[in-house]
Amino acid sequence: MFKKSVYSFVTAMVVAGVGSSVFAAAEASHFTRPANVPFPADNAMAKERIELGKLLFFDVRLSKSEQISCATCHDPKKGWSDGLPKAVGHEGRMGPRNTPTILNGAYQQTQFWDGRAATLEEQALGPIQADVEMNMPLDELIVKLNGIPGYVKLFAKAYPGEGVTKESLAKAIASFERTVVSSNAPFDRFIKGDKKAISENAKKGFELFKGKGGCTNCHDGFNFTDGSFHNIGLDDGDVGRYKVKSKEIFYGATKTPTLRDVTKSSPYFHNGSAETLEEASTVCSSGGKNPQARNVSTALKKADLTREEIGYLADFMKTLESPAMKLDIPTKFPK
Amino acid sequence: MKKMVSLVSILLLCSSGWAAEFVVEQKGKQFSPNTIKAKVGDTVRFKNSDPFAHNAYSDDAAIAFDIGMQAPGDDKVVKLKAKGKFSVGCNIHPAMALTIIVE
Repeated sequence: MFKKSVYSFVTAMVVAGVGSSVFAAAEASHFTRPANVPFPADNAMAKERIELGKLLFFDVRLSKSEQISCATCHDPKKGWSDGLPKAVGHEGRMGPRNTPTILNGAYQQTQFWDGRAATLEEQALGPIQADVEMNMPLDELIVKLNGIPGYVKLFAKAYPGEGVTKESLAKAIASFERTVVSSNAPFDRFIKGDKKAISENAKKGFELFKGKGGCTNCHDGFNFTDGSFHNIGLDDGDVGRYKVKSKEIFYGATKTPTLRDVTKSSPYFHNGSAETLEEASTVCSSGGKNPQARNVSTALKKADLTREEIGYLADFMKTLESPAMKLDIPTKFPK
Repeated sequence: MKKMVSLVSILLLCSSGWAAEFVVEQKGKQFSPNTIKAKVGDTVRFKNSDPFAHNAYSDDAAIAFDIGMQAPGDDKVVKLKAKGKFSVGCNIHPAMALTIIVE
């Protein structure tokens, strides 16, 4: 919050003619991921917890069918998403929405498209139980995990005295998810001063992104989301956050997704209806897919961007792709 | 002239008992100021200076309110009816936070 204040203040100072180097430093800070990943007081980060969470994340035994793991939909090779318009889970059932990436989820104020979970711990248990996802009743899963001595041992090391419970299960998965963060994308090098890290067209795209395009109205900060909820006029019958809180302000509104690694997580939007960055950018810079739809967000600027400018925006967003995270995907699981 | 001085004095005396109005600006996706100290009966005017919609609400039972959708340029007033320390947020932008201390 303080950083954002400083950024806003310095932006105003630059407009007033005060030093550009000060502005560059503030802008770099505004768009740089904080080194420390936030975590709740009762779930401090620890190697044992992360390793346990990773095993659980990739273990298909957490699903009723024993064919689906968290990683089935949140596939690290597909930008921690699945490449599908809408998620496909238990017995091939299609879920109601596109699978959001878990990248940088640790920094989000709310989880899921509709923000119905406040923490990663709360989020982690949702898909396990959902009938269109892993379809596994939690009570049944806890009994099952307590029957696997290898897991009982690992839980005892990671969460001494807590046992294998819904709470420790959620905490372990959340601990692993907190390690899934963006780093060292070309944009990150650019914003820290390496002016050759991105192309001239991408630089034009960044200026459009912050300015004429109005993209930072929502896709703001290092994670290129401010966590805000907006109806972008898809007009697809999905009431969005309104189902969580029945206030008109939320009708059709979903959470602004991160644009980090956005190249890896197409198709886009909560219903997967945009296949390309250009298509998604066109919708958002046109005042929404259907600007006349109920409760369309005023944050969507009708920017009248040219096709060339949309191309620059896409070039810029491509610079947000981080090198693949070093990850040893488990192939052997506790017995 | 004497009558006018007396009238001003009365107004000044009365003013100590008047409710105050605090202006909280919503700008750059922040409440500014982000903390205010007020008294019961005072009012808070939420002024949206951003080019997109905002909201202000509190779920704290003693002063629970929700000003709804607030278009760019709009301002809305909330009366503080109870003592306490209250959290105010924006439903659209969950990162926005304001603390109101009512004495």
